[in-house]
Amino acid sequence: MSRRRCYVVYCHPLDDSFAHAALERVLAGLARRPDVDVRLSDLYADDFSPEFSLEERRTHKDSPDGKTEIAEYADNLRWCDSLIVVHPTWFSGPPAMLKGWLDRVLVQGVAWTLPDGASRLKPLLRNIRAITVVTTHGSSKLINSLQGEAGKRIWFRSVRVLCHPLTRCRWVAFYGIDRASDAKRRAFLGRVERAMQRV
Amino acid sequence: MRALVLVAHPDPHSFSHAAAQAAVDGLQAGGHEVTVLDLYANGFDAAMSPAERRAYPSGRPLIDPQTQASADLVRAAHILVFCYPTWWSSMPAVLKGWLDRTMVEGVAFRFNERRKIRPGLGHVRRIVGISTYGSPKSYVKAINDNGRRTLMRTLRMNAGWRTRRTWLALYAMDRIGPVERSAFLARVRDQASTW
Repeated sequence: MSRRRCYVVYCHPLDDSFAHAALERVLAGLARRPDVDVRLSDLYADDFSPEFSLEERRTHKDSPDGKTEIAEYADNLRWCDSLIVVHPTWFSGPPAMLKGWLDRVLVQGVAWTLPDGASRLKPLLRNIRAITVVTTHGSSKLINSLQGEAGKRIWFRSVRVLCHPLTRCRWVAFYGIDRASDAKRRAFLGRVERAMQRV
Repeated sequence: MRALVLVAHPDPHSFSHAAAQAAVDGLQAGGHEVTVLDLYANGFDAAMSPAERRAYPSGRPLIDPQTQASADLVRAAHILVFCYPTWWSSMPAVLKGWLDRTMVEGVAFRFNERRKIRPGLGHVRRIVGISTYGSPKSYVKAINDNGRRTLMRTLRMNAGWRTRRTWLALYAMDRIGPVERSAFLARVRDQASTW
Protein backbone atom coordinates (compact mmCIF):
# COMPACT_ATOMS: atom_id res chain seq x y z
CA MET A 1 0.00 0.00 0.00
CA SER A 2 1.50 3.28 -1.05
CA ARG A 3 1.70 6.17 1.34
CA ARG A 4 -0.87 8.97 1.36
CA ARG A 5 0.62 12.35 0.48
CA CYS A 6 -1.26 15.22 2.08
CA TYR A 7 -0.61 18.85 1.26
CA VAL A 8 -2.02 21.26 3.84
CA VAL A 9 -2.53 24.90 2.88
CA TYR A 10 -3.29 27.19 5.78
CA CYS A 11 -4.32 30.85 5.66
CA HIS A 12 -5.03 33.07 8.64
CA PRO A 13 -3.11 36.17 9.79
CA LEU A 14 -3.04 35.28 13.51
CA ASP A 15 -1.30 32.40 15.29
CA ASP A 16 -3.74 32.51 18.22
CA SER A 17 -6.80 32.22 15.98
CA PHE A 18 -9.39 29.48 15.97
CA ALA A 19 -8.31 28.63 12.43
CA HIS A 20 -4.81 28.01 13.78
CA ALA A 21 -6.24 25.73 16.46
CA ALA A 22 -8.01 23.85 13.65
CA LEU A 23 -4.73 23.59 11.76
CA GLU A 24 -3.04 22.08 14.82
CA ARG A 25 -5.77 19.46 15.01
CA VAL A 26 -5.43 18.75 11.30
CA LEU A 27 -1.72 18.11 11.77
CA ALA A 28 -2.33 16.10 14.95
CA GLY A 29 -4.91 13.97 13.16
CA LEU A 30 -2.59 13.30 10.23
CA ALA A 31 0.34 12.55 12.56
CA ARG A 32 -1.64 9.70 14.12
CA ARG A 33 -1.71 7.91 10.79
CA PRO A 34 1.41 5.91 10.03
CA ASP A 35 0.87 5.89 6.27
CA VAL A 36 0.75 9.63 5.65
CA ASP A 37 3.39 12.12 4.55
CA VAL A 38 2.55 15.76 5.12
CA ARG A 39 3.68 19.03 3.61
CA LEU A 40 2.42 22.36 4.92
CA SER A 41 2.23 25.88 3.45
CA ASP A 42 1.36 28.71 5.82
CA LEU A 43 0.68 31.61 3.47
CA TYR A 44 0.89 34.44 6.02
CA ALA A 45 4.09 32.99 7.52
CA ASP A 46 5.49 32.81 3.98
CA ASP A 47 4.52 36.47 3.48
CA PHE A 48 2.93 35.40 0.21
CA SER A 49 1.96 38.26 -2.15
CA PRO A 50 -1.57 37.62 -3.36
CA GLU A 51 -1.62 40.23 -6.12
CA PHE A 52 -1.38 38.70 -9.59
CA SER A 53 1.03 41.14 -11.27
CA LEU A 54 1.20 42.74 -14.69
CA GLU A 55 4.39 40.77 -15.37
CA GLU A 56 2.57 37.54 -14.55
CA ARG A 57 -0.25 38.60 -16.79
CA ARG A 58 2.24 39.02 -19.65
CA THR A 59 3.89 35.66 -19.06
CA HIS A 60 0.56 34.00 -18.28
CA LYS A 61 0.85 31.39 -21.03
CA ASP A 62 4.58 30.66 -20.66
CA SER A 63 6.12 27.68 -18.93
CA PRO A 64 6.07 27.97 -15.12
CA ASP A 65 9.72 26.88 -14.82
CA GLY A 66 11.12 30.38 -14.39
CA LYS A 67 8.50 31.41 -11.84
CA THR A 68 10.55 30.86 -8.69
CA GLU A 69 8.07 32.54 -6.33
CA ILE A 70 5.50 29.84 -6.89
CA ALA A 71 7.88 26.92 -7.51
CA GLU A 72 7.56 25.40 -4.03
CA TYR A 73 3.75 25.55 -4.05
CA ALA A 74 3.61 24.11 -7.56
CA ASP A 75 5.94 21.31 -6.54
CA ASN A 76 3.75 20.48 -3.53
CA LEU A 77 0.62 20.44 -5.68
CA ARG A 78 2.25 18.01 -8.11
CA TRP A 79 3.49 15.85 -5.24
CA CYS A 80 0.31 15.40 -3.21
CA ASP A 81 -2.71 13.18 -3.68
CA SER A 82 -4.82 14.86 -1.03
CA LEU A 83 -5.23 18.63 -0.74
CA ILE A 84 -6.32 19.95 2.65
CA VAL A 85 -7.17 23.62 2.98
CA VAL A 86 -7.68 25.41 6.30
CA HIS A 87 -9.08 28.94 6.21
CA PRO A 88 -11.73 31.18 7.74
CA THR A 89 -14.58 32.16 5.41
CA TRP A 90 -14.63 35.92 4.93
CA PHE A 91 -17.23 37.57 2.78
CA SER A 92 -18.46 34.14 1.70
CA GLY A 93 -15.10 33.00 0.37
CA PRO A 94 -11.48 32.29 1.21
CA PRO A 95 -9.42 35.29 2.42
CA ALA A 96 -7.86 37.36 -0.36
CA MET A 97 -4.45 35.91 0.50
CA LEU A 98 -5.71 32.44 -0.41
CA LYS A 99 -7.65 33.60 -3.46
CA GLY A 100 -4.43 35.22 -4.65
CA TRP A 101 -2.63 31.93 -4.09
CA LEU A 102 -5.12 30.32 -6.49
CA ASP A 103 -4.71 33.18 -8.99
CA ARG A 104 -0.91 32.99 -8.95
CA VAL A 105 -0.11 29.30 -8.39
CA LEU A 106 -2.75 27.51 -10.47
CA VAL A 107 -1.22 28.73 -13.70
CA GLN A 108 -0.50 27.25 -17.11
CA GLY A 109 1.87 24.30 -16.74
CA VAL A 110 0.99 23.72 -13.08
CA ALA A 111 -2.78 23.28 -12.94
CA TRP A 112 -3.76 23.23 -16.59
CA THR A 113 -2.51 23.49 -20.11
CA LEU A 114 -4.10 24.54 -23.35
CA PRO A 115 -2.76 22.41 -26.20
CA ASP A 116 -2.55 24.08 -29.62
CA GLY A 117 -5.92 24.14 -31.26
CA ALA A 118 -7.79 22.94 -28.19
CA SER A 119 -10.75 24.89 -26.95
CA ARG A 120 -10.81 23.44 -23.44
CA LEU A 121 -8.20 23.46 -20.72
CA LYS A 122 -6.49 20.17 -20.05
CA PRO A 123 -6.28 19.54 -16.27
CA LEU A 124 -2.81 18.83 -14.89
CA LEU A 125 -3.59 18.10 -11.23
CA ARG A 126 -4.90 14.59 -11.92
CA ASN A 127 -2.71 13.34 -9.04
CA ILE A 128 -5.08 14.99 -6.54
CA ARG A 129 -7.85 12.60 -5.53
CA ALA A 130 -9.30 14.31 -2.48
CA ILE A 131 -9.99 17.90 -1.50
CA THR A 132 -10.81 18.63 2.13
CA VAL A 133 -11.72 22.12 3.28
CA VAL A 134 -11.73 23.02 6.97
CA THR A 135 -13.36 26.39 7.46
CA THR A 136 -15.29 28.62 9.86
CA HIS A 137 -18.21 30.92 9.13
CA GLY A 138 -19.25 33.82 11.36
CA SER A 139 -22.85 33.59 10.21
CA SER A 140 -25.32 30.72 10.28
CA LYS A 141 -25.76 27.92 7.79
CA LEU A 142 -29.02 29.51 6.62
CA ILE A 143 -27.39 32.84 5.81
CA ASN A 144 -24.56 31.07 3.98
CA SER A 145 -27.04 29.03 1.96
CA LEU A 146 -28.86 32.19 0.91
CA GLN A 147 -25.54 33.72 -0.07
CA GLY A 148 -24.83 30.70 -2.22
CA GLU A 149 -21.72 29.23 -0.55
CA ALA A 150 -19.41 30.86 -3.08
CA GLY A 151 -16.25 29.77 -1.28
CA LYS A 152 -17.30 26.11 -1.17
CA ARG A 153 -17.96 26.17 -4.88
CA ILE A 154 -14.58 27.68 -5.70
CA TRP A 155 -12.93 24.59 -4.20
CA PHE A 156 -15.43 21.88 -5.11
CA ARG A 157 -16.19 23.00 -8.64
CA SER A 158 -13.63 25.41 -10.03
CA VAL A 159 -10.54 23.77 -8.51
CA ARG A 160 -11.93 20.25 -8.55
CA VAL A 161 -12.20 20.11 -12.34
CA LEU A 162 -8.40 20.42 -12.48
CA CYS A 163 -8.00 17.30 -10.32
CA HIS A 164 -8.72 13.61 -10.80
CA PRO A 165 -12.23 12.95 -12.21
CA LEU A 166 -13.15 10.90 -9.13
CA THR A 167 -11.86 13.44 -6.61
CA ARG A 168 -13.66 13.21 -3.27
CA CYS A 169 -14.68 16.48 -1.66
CA ARG A 170 -15.11 16.88 2.06
CA TRP A 171 -16.45 20.07 3.64
CA VAL A 172 -15.62 20.35 7.34
CA ALA A 173 -17.29 23.61 8.25
CA PHE A 174 -18.23 25.40 11.45
CA TYR A 175 -21.19 27.71 10.94
CA GLY A 176 -22.17 30.49 13.32
CA ILE A 177 -18.86 30.67 15.17
CA ASP A 178 -19.60 34.26 16.26
CA ARG A 179 -22.30 33.01 18.63
CA ALA A 180 -21.04 29.52 19.39
CA SER A 181 -20.31 28.25 22.90
CA ASP A 182 -16.90 26.99 23.97
CA ALA A 183 -18.29 23.46 24.04
CA LYS A 184 -19.32 23.71 20.41
CA ARG A 185 -15.94 25.07 19.47
CA ARG A 186 -14.20 22.19 21.20
CA ALA A 187 -16.54 19.72 19.55
CA PHE A 188 -15.69 21.12 16.13
CA LEU A 189 -11.96 20.79 16.78
CA GLY A 190 -12.55 17.15 17.68
CA ARG A 191 -14.47 16.69 14.45
CA VAL A 192 -11.58 18.20 12.49
CA GLU A 193 -9.13 15.76 13.99
CA ARG A 194 -11.42 12.80 13.33
CA ALA A 195 -12.00 13.90 9.74
CA MET A 196 -8.27 13.59 9.11
CA GLN A 197 -8.51 9.82 9.49
CA ARG A 198 -10.28 9.66 6.14
CA VAL A 199 -8.66 12.23 3.87
CA MET B 1 -26.45 60.27 -7.57
CA ARG B 2 -22.86 59.39 -6.76
CA ALA B 3 -21.29 56.30 -8.28
CA LEU B 4 -18.12 54.48 -7.25
CA VAL B 5 -16.51 52.42 -10.02
CA LEU B 6 -13.92 49.86 -8.93
CA VAL B 7 -11.51 48.25 -11.38
CA ALA B 8 -9.34 45.24 -10.57
CA HIS B 9 -6.98 44.32 -13.39
CA PRO B 10 -3.16 44.56 -13.38
CA ASP B 11 -2.96 45.91 -16.94
CA PRO B 12 -4.13 49.54 -17.33
CA HIS B 13 -4.83 48.78 -21.02
CA SER B 14 -7.01 45.79 -20.23
CA PHE B 15 -10.52 45.19 -21.46
CA SER B 16 -11.74 45.48 -17.85
CA HIS B 17 -10.45 49.06 -17.85
CA ALA B 18 -12.20 49.72 -21.15
CA ALA B 19 -15.43 48.36 -19.67
CA ALA B 20 -14.98 50.56 -16.59
CA GLN B 21 -14.48 53.58 -18.84
CA ALA B 22 -17.64 52.70 -20.75
CA ALA B 23 -19.53 52.54 -17.45
CA VAL B 24 -18.09 55.91 -16.42
CA ASP B 25 -19.12 57.48 -19.75
CA GLY B 26 -22.62 56.08 -19.44
CA LEU B 27 -23.01 57.13 -15.80
CA GLN B 28 -21.85 60.66 -16.59
CA ALA B 29 -24.22 60.84 -19.54
CA GLY B 30 -26.95 59.84 -17.09
CA GLY B 31 -26.05 62.81 -14.91
CA HIS B 32 -24.25 60.94 -12.10
CA GLU B 33 -21.14 62.02 -10.28
CA VAL B 34 -18.51 59.32 -10.75
CA THR B 35 -15.39 58.34 -8.78
CA VAL B 36 -13.08 55.63 -10.12
CA LEU B 37 -10.97 53.48 -7.83
CA ASP B 38 -8.34 51.49 -9.72
CA LEU B 39 -7.14 48.97 -7.13
CA TYR B 40 -3.92 47.94 -8.89
CA ALA B 41 -2.97 51.53 -9.83
CA ASN B 42 -3.54 52.55 -6.20
CA GLY B 43 -1.35 49.71 -4.95
CA PHE B 44 -4.18 48.40 -2.77
CA ASP B 45 -2.94 45.56 -0.56
CA ALA B 46 -5.12 42.48 -0.93
CA ALA B 47 -4.19 40.74 2.30
CA MET B 48 -5.74 41.70 5.61
CA SER B 49 -2.79 42.25 7.95
CA PRO B 50 -2.50 40.66 11.41
CA ALA B 51 -3.04 44.10 13.00
CA GLU B 52 -6.19 44.58 10.95
CA ARG B 53 -7.47 41.17 11.93
CA ARG B 54 -6.98 42.10 15.60
CA ALA B 55 -8.79 45.41 15.03
CA TYR B 56 -11.65 43.77 13.11
CA PRO B 57 -13.89 42.94 16.11
CA SER B 58 -12.82 46.04 18.09
CA GLY B 59 -15.43 48.40 16.65
CA ARG B 60 -12.67 50.48 15.01
CA PRO B 61 -11.52 48.22 12.19
CA LEU B 62 -10.31 50.88 9.72
CA ILE B 63 -6.72 51.29 10.88
CA ASP B 64 -5.11 51.78 7.46
CA PRO B 65 -5.34 55.03 5.39
CA GLN B 66 -6.05 52.85 2.32
CA THR B 67 -9.17 51.32 3.83
CA GLN B 68 -10.26 54.62 5.44
CA ALA B 69 -10.20 56.30 2.03
CA SER B 70 -12.15 53.41 0.48
CA ALA B 71 -14.68 53.43 3.31
CA ASP B 72 -15.32 57.16 2.78
CA LEU B 73 -15.95 56.53 -0.92
CA VAL B 74 -18.34 53.68 -0.14
CA ARG B 75 -20.27 55.70 2.45
CA ALA B 76 -20.81 58.47 -0.11
CA ALA B 77 -21.85 56.19 -2.97
CA HIS B 78 -25.36 55.38 -4.19
CA ILE B 79 -24.17 53.10 -6.99
CA LEU B 80 -21.34 50.57 -6.65
CA VAL B 81 -19.83 49.23 -9.88
CA PHE B 82 -17.28 46.40 -9.92
CA CYS B 83 -15.23 45.70 -13.07
CA TYR B 84 -12.96 42.68 -13.08
CA PRO B 85 -11.90 39.56 -14.96
CA THR B 86 -13.21 36.33 -13.42
CA TRP B 87 -10.35 34.08 -12.31
CA TRP B 88 -11.06 30.67 -10.75
CA SER B 89 -14.77 31.46 -10.85
CA SER B 90 -14.35 34.46 -8.58
CA MET B 91 -12.85 37.93 -8.38
CA PRO B 92 -9.14 38.71 -8.42
CA ALA B 93 -7.54 38.58 -4.95
CA VAL B 94 -7.10 42.35 -4.85
CA LEU B 95 -10.86 42.87 -5.13
CA LYS B 96 -11.62 40.07 -2.68
CA GLY B 97 -9.15 41.78 -0.33
CA TRP B 98 -10.87 45.10 -0.85
CA LEU B 99 -14.11 43.48 0.33
CA ASP B 100 -12.37 41.72 3.24
CA ARG B 101 -10.68 44.91 4.43
CA THR B 102 -13.17 47.67 3.58
CA MET B 103 -16.55 46.02 4.06
CA VAL B 104 -16.22 45.87 7.83
CA GLU B 105 -18.25 46.96 10.83
CA GLY B 106 -19.27 50.59 10.45
CA VAL B 107 -19.20 50.41 6.64
CA ALA B 108 -21.00 47.30 5.38
CA PHE B 109 -22.80 46.42 8.60
CA ARG B 110 -23.34 47.38 12.21
CA PHE B 111 -24.53 45.54 15.29
CA ASN B 112 -27.83 46.34 16.99
CA GLU B 113 -28.42 46.31 20.79
CA ARG B 114 -28.84 42.53 20.70
CA ARG B 115 -25.54 42.07 18.85
CA LYS B 116 -27.30 41.07 15.65
CA ILE B 117 -25.80 42.15 12.34
CA ARG B 118 -27.71 44.89 10.55
CA PRO B 119 -27.01 46.12 7.00
CA GLY B 120 -24.87 49.23 6.70
CA LEU B 121 -25.15 49.86 2.97
CA GLY B 122 -28.75 51.05 2.96
CA HIS B 123 -27.69 54.13 1.00
CA VAL B 124 -26.58 51.97 -1.94
CA ARG B 125 -29.37 51.88 -4.50
CA ARG B 126 -27.72 49.64 -7.06
CA ILE B 127 -24.86 47.13 -7.18
CA VAL B 128 -23.39 46.44 -10.60
CA GLY B 129 -20.92 43.78 -11.69
CA ILE B 130 -19.14 43.90 -15.04
CA SER B 131 -16.99 40.86 -15.64
CA THR B 132 -15.16 39.05 -18.40
CA TYR B 133 -14.79 35.28 -18.53
CA GLY B 134 -12.42 33.08 -20.48
CA SER B 135 -15.00 30.30 -20.42
CA PRO B 136 -18.31 30.11 -22.26
CA LYS B 137 -21.54 30.83 -20.42
CA SER B 138 -22.54 27.16 -20.02
CA TYR B 139 -19.31 26.39 -18.18
CA VAL B 140 -19.58 29.50 -16.00
CA LYS B 141 -23.10 28.47 -14.98
CA ALA B 142 -21.98 24.94 -14.14
CA ILE B 143 -19.14 26.21 -11.96
CA ASN B 144 -21.57 28.63 -10.32
CA ASP B 145 -20.05 32.02 -11.02
CA ASN B 146 -18.86 32.60 -7.48
CA GLY B 147 -17.73 36.19 -7.90
CA ARG B 148 -21.22 37.06 -9.05
CA ARG B 149 -22.72 35.30 -6.04
CA THR B 150 -20.42 37.15 -3.67
CA LEU B 151 -21.41 40.57 -5.03
CA MET B 152 -25.02 39.95 -5.94
CA ARG B 153 -25.94 38.00 -2.82
CA THR B 154 -23.45 38.50 0.00
CA LEU B 155 -22.74 42.18 -0.62
CA ARG B 156 -26.37 42.81 -1.45
CA MET B 157 -27.39 41.35 1.89
CA ASN B 158 -25.45 44.21 3.49
CA ALA B 159 -27.49 46.71 1.49
CA GLY B 160 -31.10 45.64 1.45
CA TRP B 161 -33.77 43.95 -0.58
CA ARG B 162 -34.64 47.18 -2.35
CA THR B 163 -31.13 47.56 -3.75
CA ARG B 164 -31.13 46.73 -7.42
CA ARG B 165 -28.66 44.34 -9.00
CA THR B 166 -27.19 44.45 -12.47
CA TRP B 167 -24.78 41.94 -13.96
CA LEU B 168 -23.08 42.50 -17.31
CA ALA B 169 -20.95 39.61 -18.52
CA LEU B 170 -18.81 38.95 -21.54
CA TYR B 171 -18.17 35.21 -21.91
CA ALA B 172 -15.60 33.23 -23.92
CA MET B 173 -13.24 36.22 -24.09
CA ASP B 174 -10.47 34.13 -25.64
CA ARG B 175 -12.56 33.23 -28.66
CA ILE B 176 -14.57 36.28 -29.59
CA GLY B 177 -13.54 39.04 -31.97
CA PRO B 178 -13.30 42.83 -31.84
CA VAL B 179 -16.90 43.21 -33.02
CA GLU B 180 -18.34 41.43 -29.99
CA ARG B 181 -16.00 43.33 -27.72
CA SER B 182 -17.03 46.75 -28.93
CA ALA B 183 -20.68 45.70 -28.91
CA PHE B 184 -20.27 44.79 -25.26
CA LEU B 185 -18.71 48.16 -24.45
CA ALA B 186 -21.60 49.90 -26.19
CA ARG B 187 -24.03 47.80 -24.17
CA VAL B 188 -22.28 48.78 -20.92
CA ARG B 189 -22.39 52.45 -21.89
CA ASP B 190 -26.09 52.33 -22.82
CA GLN B 191 -27.08 50.47 -19.67
CA ALA B 192 -25.02 52.72 -17.41
CA SER B 193 -26.79 55.81 -18.67
CA THR B 194 -30.09 54.39 -17.40
CA TRP B 195 -28.94 53.58 -13.83
